[in-house]
Amino acid sequence: MFRAGYLARKAGQLALTLFAVVTFNFVLFRVLPGDPLQLIARSGHLPPEAVARLRALFGLDRPLLVQFWYYLRNLSHAQFGFSFTYRRPVSSILAERMTNTIILLGAATVFIVLLGVGLGVFAAARRGSRADSGTVVTALVFWSLPTFWTGMILVFLLGVWLHAFPISGITTPGAVYSSWFDQTGDVVSHIFLPTVTLALVDIGQFILITRSSLVDVLTEDFILTAKAKGLSRRNVVWRHGVRNALLPVITASALYISLVVGGAIQVETVFSWPGIGRLIYDAVLRRDYPILEACFLIFAVTVILANLASDLLYQVLDPRVREA
Amino acid sequence: MATKQIPLADRPGARAALRRNWDLIWSDGLGRLGVILLGVVAVIAIFGPMLFPFDPKAVGRSAADILQPPSAQHWLGTDELGRDVFRAALAGSRISLLVGLLATAISILVGAVIGLVAGYYPGWPDSVLMRVTDFFLVMPTLPLVIALAALFGQSLGIIILVIGLTGWPSTARIVRSQVLSLRERQFVVRIRSLGASDLRIVGSHILPNVLPLIFANTVLVIAGSILSEATLAFLGLGDPVHVSWGTMLHFAFVSGATGRGAWWYFLPPGFGIVLVVLGFTLFGHTLDRILNPRLRERG
Amino acid sequence: MRARTVAALLMVALLVLTGCTRSAKSGSTSLRVGWSSEPDTMNPLTTYSTEAQEVLQLVYDKLTEYDSSLKPEPGLATSFEYSSDGLSITYDLRDGVKWHDGQPFTSADVKFTFDLIHDQNLSEYGQWLTDMTSVDTPDASTVVVNFSKPQAFNPGLSIPILPEHIWSGKSAEDIQKFANDQPVGTGPYTFVQWKQGESLTIKRNDSWWGPEPAATQVIFVLYGNEDVMAQALKAGEVDVLTEVPPTIWDGLSGVDNVAAVSIPSFSFHHIGFNMSTDPKSQGNPLILDRTVRQALAYALDRNQLVQLALAGHGQPGSVLLPPAFGKWQLKIPADQQMNANPDQANQMLDAAGYTDTNGDGVREAPDGSPLEFRLIAIESTTVDVRAAELFRNAAAKVGIKLDLQTMDENTLGKTVYNTTDWDIFVWGWDSGVADPDYMLGIVLCSQIGGNNDIYYCNKHYDQLYDQQATTVDEAARMNIVHLMQQDFYDSAGYIVMWYQDKLQAYRTDTWTGWVQTPGGMVFNFTRDNYLNVTPVAA
Repeated sequence: MFRAGYLARKAGQLALTLFAVVTFNFVLFRVLPGDPLQLIARSGHLPPEAVARLRALFGLDRPLLVQFWYYLRNLSHAQFGFSFTYRRPVSSILAERMTNTIILLGAATVFIVLLGVGLGVFAAARRGSRADSGTVVTALVFWSLPTFWTGMILVFLLGVWLHAFPISGITTPGAVYSSWFDQTGDVVSHIFLPTVTLALVDIGQFILITRSSLVDVLTEDFILTAKAKGLSRRNVVWRHGVRNALLPVITASALYISLVVGGAIQVETVFSWPGIGRLIYDAVLRRDYPILEACFLIFAVTVILANLASDLLYQVLDPRVREA
Repeated sequence: MATKQIPLADRPGARAALRRNWDLIWSDGLGRLGVILLGVVAVIAIFGPMLFPFDPKAVGRSAADILQPPSAQHWLGTDELGRDVFRAALAGSRISLLVGLLATAISILVGAVIGLVAGYYPGWPDSVLMRVTDFFLVMPTLPLVIALAALFGQSLGIIILVIGLTGWPSTARIVRSQVLSLRERQFVVRIRSLGASDLRIVGSHILPNVLPLIFANTVLVIAGSILSEATLAFLGLGDPVHVSWGTMLHFAFVSGATGRGAWWYFLPPGFGIVLVVLGFTLFGHTLDRILNPRLRERG
Repeated sequence: MRARTVAALLMVALLVLTGCTRSAKSGSTSLRVGWSSEPDTMNPLTTYSTEAQEVLQLVYDKLTEYDSSLKPEPGLATSFEYSSDGLSITYDLRDGVKWHDGQPFTSADVKFTFDLIHDQNLSEYGQWLTDMTSVDTPDASTVVVNFSKPQAFNPGLSIPILPEHIWSGKSAEDIQKFANDQPVGTGPYTFVQWKQGESLTIKRNDSWWGPEPAATQVIFVLYGNEDVMAQALKAGEVDVLTEVPPTIWDGLSGVDNVAAVSIPSFSFHHIGFNMSTDPKSQGNPLILDRTVRQALAYALDRNQLVQLALAGHGQPGSVLLPPAFGKWQLKIPADQQMNANPDQANQMLDAAGYTDTNGDGVREAPDGSPLEFRLIAIESTTVDVRAAELFRNAAAKVGIKLDLQTMDENTLGKTVYNTTDWDIFVWGWDSGVADPDYMLGIVLCSQIGGNNDIYYCNKHYDQLYDQQATTVDEAARMNIVHLMQQDFYDSAGYIVMWYQDKLQAYRTDTWTGWVQTPGGMVFNFTRDNYLNVTPVAA
């Protein structure tokens, strides 16, 4: 379907960007000042020999280029190294945290797609009306809300004041479930507030993007043709309009991941959600380079792949390109 | 003979264009709302601390002064050190805005330069610069900003620098695509063939046409920078010595104001942030639609 | 429109599901503990976290344990005895004890543990065995530990006993990397599971040698921040909290079914001065003048600090040992303390020749150099930042200028320990054991490069330390310890700002029998509360 040259070029760009990310990753975290081992020595009441031993263990006493070489070699074996804080392989720490964050992101994405795209379509179909500007204002307000503040307010209103939802964790600690249904319900009640908080800002963004691209499309010639043919409004909007308007939305989705990471860090902090966001924050404070490197790398790779996927998808979906 | 006065709106020239755009913004409901919000915030930030100065050393005398609800003496109650929240919020407005504006200045400068160079010199300068831009777009911003703030320390200057150095990709992209399209326009091609220097072309012909787009983009970047400062401060990476809305929210959170229902402490700074960001966003959104003619016609 | 119906259906489904979650109840014999930071590893020889030790003290036993008044009581050793020359300690071990995996416990395990720690000088336990010469095991239930000098501190109180059959054969590097994911000990609880970032569960060891604890399970629940943790206690999601910050703790007082307790702790926060006498030191030499340091001590109002930075939850600081040490702490009468007396500070500085010659509010030394110093504090420790600001204000009132800079904990540690490029810092200490030896030992000459954070070196003080470490008679030892505190206090190497109270809270309607041991009901050197609390009769 695609020309070999195009794919090769894309692959080449991918490899280059990946290498740049890997190198940048490494340099960034070695350059951070502050010696994690010093802190550990004091709080753990360690004698100097123990500290020296740790330093050798992590290879921190070697020159930077040597460390870089080890780093690259380990990466090729999908080994992300040992966490300074936990002294166990980073991959084992990431696995479970990642799952928790993905659950949260998944739930949020459902909200964002349903409400964001849905309301965007709603507004575009009624462009110029009061419903339209009302929706746009709502979207802009959502976009302006700081995620962490929204979380604090929801914690206060729905958690503390009304006791309607739990405000931390994934499940009730020490809970005994009488059925699978119970357990799912527990998780759902815990995930509700963080999901809403995380989704709000992006709902606003997606409403706007969907609406504006749909508005563009809806005034294109082929739409006017469809209307002239007497097709119902629903037919026109959904079948012809939305499919073409989805293109910019898909492009935006690729960037969504880098946007949502920031939101995830805030939400996981406010709601004690045991995910990657919180892990990153703690790791920065404790200078746990291996964890940070691994997380950054994963995010960067995910976004790069998402970009690639959306590029390819765009090629497939865009009628103009297909014709060419 | 009487000369006919051409209405201002139809006169050529930059000032007239500005006036025209202003009228368009003002006549748009959302645009007007944005301008009003910004005006209110400007008044608060400029005059607030003058009328109600905040003394960070004016701490309470005992534990009973901490986190008190609003009273005649303290219109928005007290914080976890017994200080007046109302005055703190006014002082905080200045820092939040200052950081936002200065960081944006850096972002715009860097982004515009990169975009100009990339757009004007296609070939390898463009490729390299676009790789760099994509790279920065790919790195998740918040973790990067956290790491950089931790790297360089937590003074106000560093935070401004860090936010500024991560906010430029959008500007670079917009500028680049505009420069690219302008570069191929007839009048530019002609001038170049006449042997005018690159600097002159960019300066006199390209830049003026890019500036409106940069301006619209700037407004949106300001909104983003203010949010970034607030988020950084909330996570505990702000400058602890200067009060900003973000640091107020941070201390509200860690001192348990949320759990204690001290709404006077965590609601006002948040509202402040929302109002400022919303103001810039509405203004920028409207500006975008005006400057992008297709959008203006359609909707 | 269809989208709206779908959304509505989703909402309904959501409400139905959440409505049904009220039926999830917690087991009533589970003790749920809330904390805001989690362990780093389950390896007792490489852990640096208090949380890890909290769990490990329930999984592993020591030869001698601390009871709820912090007095030694039998652990794996039913009794212990010092030899007449004080150079050996003989422990009589319990019979019939088994490891969690069923293997029998013998004196070989004790010898193995002590030898391992001594040979490799591992972790903080190494310091109690530096004088150890050998360990004898005359039979399977007796261990004799021999030292080259008499030991005032009984190492059996501190060292967890490890199973030889699991740990033997590991090199030093192996031990560093060993995660000990399924720790095997002889303790009252066995390890079940650690969901990182969420919770850690241990369950009762039904073949434990001691009296059976009432809690069948202990679950340690991690909360991302203390406010939410306090909410969880109020909501009944957990039974006890390990440590609560002051303003949040205030919010727990007077809440139904919650008791908020304030207990003297083994910790303090202090101001430290760069006392390095190295000619290459980059510290401001004026700080080496004791008059300046004492003047700063006089200028600072500790009571105000406690009120404002700690919301009143602490004691004003003075000597090196916090009040939880009881009689070991030297009590200096209030009127003899260098505290809250700016007039005295001004007088001292005037008399020493520091005057403000150019009217800028800052005093200068006779040679013209101003009394201006750099002050650093950890930005994430809010109380320290607050205290630093208040200290700066106080110093300004006596003509001394302090330039405050905050930084993260790692950078501060590196600056203070690895360089001499600083003047004054704000930090804190917790005692490693319930014995004064640890804290007194921080400022020894030999600890420069170790714990000593102020390059303090006073031979007289060091001599007193050696004496008390080898004086077994408690009364005699206490005298020496008092002398040491007075000596260090006068030198003003530290300004101890406060001894923070350990602020904890628990639910009164789930478990009862909590004893408020000095140092904390939990998160302390004793595990007795875990073993002794019983469920509240339903």
